[in-house]
Amino acid sequence: MASKERGTLLKEKHVRYIESLDKKQDTLEFWLTEHLRINGVYWGLNALCMLRSKDVFNREDLIKFVLGCYVESTGGFAAFPRHDAHLASTLSGIQLLKMYDAIDSLSKSQIDKCVNFIKSNQMKDGSFQGDRFGEVDTRFVYTAISSLSILERLTPEVVDPAVDFILRCYNFDGGFGLCPGAESHAAQVFTCLGTLAVVNRLQDLTKAQVDEIGWWLCERQVPEGGLNGRPSKLPDVCYSWWVLSSLSLIDRLEWIDFEKLRGFILDCQDEKRGGISDRPDNEVDVFHTVFGIAGLSLMGFEDLVPIDPTYCMTYDITNTIKKYPYN
Amino acid sequence: MQLKNELDLLFWSSELLFTLAQLRQFPKVYWIWNHRIWVLENHLDSSVNIWKEELVMVSKLLKIDARNFHGWLYRRIIVRKIEQLTGEKKLFEELAYTTENINNNISNFSAWHQRTVLLSKIFGENENESNAKMIHDEFAYITNAMFTDAEDQSVWFYIKWFIKNKVVRETLEPSEYARLLQELHSNVVMINQDDLEFSGKENNWCLKILIVLDDVLKNIGIETCIEKKKCLEQLINADPLRKNRYLCLLNDGQ
Ligand SMILES: [Zn+2]
Repeated sequence: MASKERGTLLKEKHVRYIESLDKKQDTLEFWLTEHLRINGVYWGLNALCMLRSKDVFNREDLIKFVLGCYVESTGGFAAFPRHDAHLASTLSGIQLLKMYDAIDSLSKSQIDKCVNFIKSNQMKDGSFQGDRFGEVDTRFVYTAISSLSILERLTPEVVDPAVDFILRCYNFDGGFGLCPGAESHAAQVFTCLGTLAVVNRLQDLTKAQVDEIGWWLCERQVPEGGLNGRPSKLPDVCYSWWVLSSLSLIDRLEWIDFEKLRGFILDCQDEKRGGISDRPDNEVDVFHTVFGIAGLSLMGFEDLVPIDPTYCMTYDITNTIKKYPYN
Repeated sequence: MQLKNELDLLFWSSELLFTLAQLRQFPKVYWIWNHRIWVLENHLDSSVNIWKEELVMVSKLLKIDARNFHGWLYRRIIVRKIEQLTGEKKLFEELAYTTENINNNISNFSAWHQRTVLLSKIFGENENESNAKMIHDEFAYITNAMFTDAEDQSVWFYIKWFIKNKVVRETLEPSEYARLLQELHSNVVMINQDDLEFSGKENNWCLKILIVLDDVLKNIGIETCIEKKKCLEQLINADPLRKNRYLCLLNDGQ
């Protein structure tokens, strides 16, 4: 590690890296694969927003791509044109439009259909399936609720059962699992706390629960400085987002060591090509690039644009979302 | 239903073999697990046998990766199905399965997690008397576990849940609960002392749990010789990554 230039975020290189992904559409490196393309574009744009380089992407082209992913028959967004709609890609699509202040490029009836698509995937117990194939996971509760929030179309009929479901996923150790009874995982903690934050229901957790959650989360930091997703697992840059955003939502951000985590993230940079990897010396990708930068932003390092831990978009964008409950 | 008549046993068996090969290669891909459930649900053999075989299969996969939470989730689904088909609960068998996994590797947090789920169910269904016996056994088990590996956080997370558990608290006679807690307390102190003598350093997790034990004992009116404040001050130096949490707890205590 000694040869590495510690202590600087190579902003310019990361911007160039993200830009290069957009230009290498036919290579393997491009935005992972088609089935994650719209997510990848959101990750890229989100990183650029924090790096104050939003203009690197062409706004009109991007909106065109997003609208091309809208599935007229169902009302959801697919990861790529002509694929099936899914809740995960629907959130990315809505986020991208919101980031360009372009929600109104969807017609009123398209938005109505989208709202129906999201609601139609809610199950009796308040959970959501990702699509008609029935995978249920607290991730999809978050993607559904966050999407409806950005569209400003939340209702108690959707919110209340969703909150009940989330609270049932709380575990003995202070974490949350992907469904009731499933082991705690840091990414699930974010999706659960994020959902509660979106609908302004974090106060449903008791002070004792919040302390337990904070304890479990801060124990994710390992001596190398990075954060893991579960006990006895390796650290990984993406947990800089899942763990830190969660700590931030319960107002215990400083329960981990910022300098140590910062060092770990910066050690995962590719100094030649730009981009950030999951662990030092691994291949970089856009997913770990955005979440590494987001972690640094949450900790207030590197003069990045501040990111909202609830929505995973910068505050200048999320400030304009009408907050639930409405009126 | 028609499917069942049209397709023969061979098809379903080969489908199971095919998804098994897929799972060995991609054990973290959700839809393969999901598809497998669908195959089992529609299998020509609708007896409990295929589900029992499936339980053996998932045990094998969990041997390869004992922390795969898709595997653990799948296991819970299979067990539920067997329980439905036979009308017999498998709670104790499954508890024994977690014991086996923990004895193999005390850091298997997935198994500890599963143990909390099962124990909560058992507590809910048992009579008071048998719960009391289970609680005694469990105190012995966790004491043994923390002596086996006092460095690993899994067992400590489990302990802090167990000692505060409502059923544990309410099933035992207050004096018996207090006695077991104090016994646990002196064992934690002992492990910490041993560590100090052996390595010159106190054991962080011992200190963290002593703080919890201190609170629990105080709640039932017992003062301990260990000062919570002193533990926290020590942790601030010994576990600097989480320094601010300890500072926060110090302030809370004042
Ligand atoms: Zn990762």
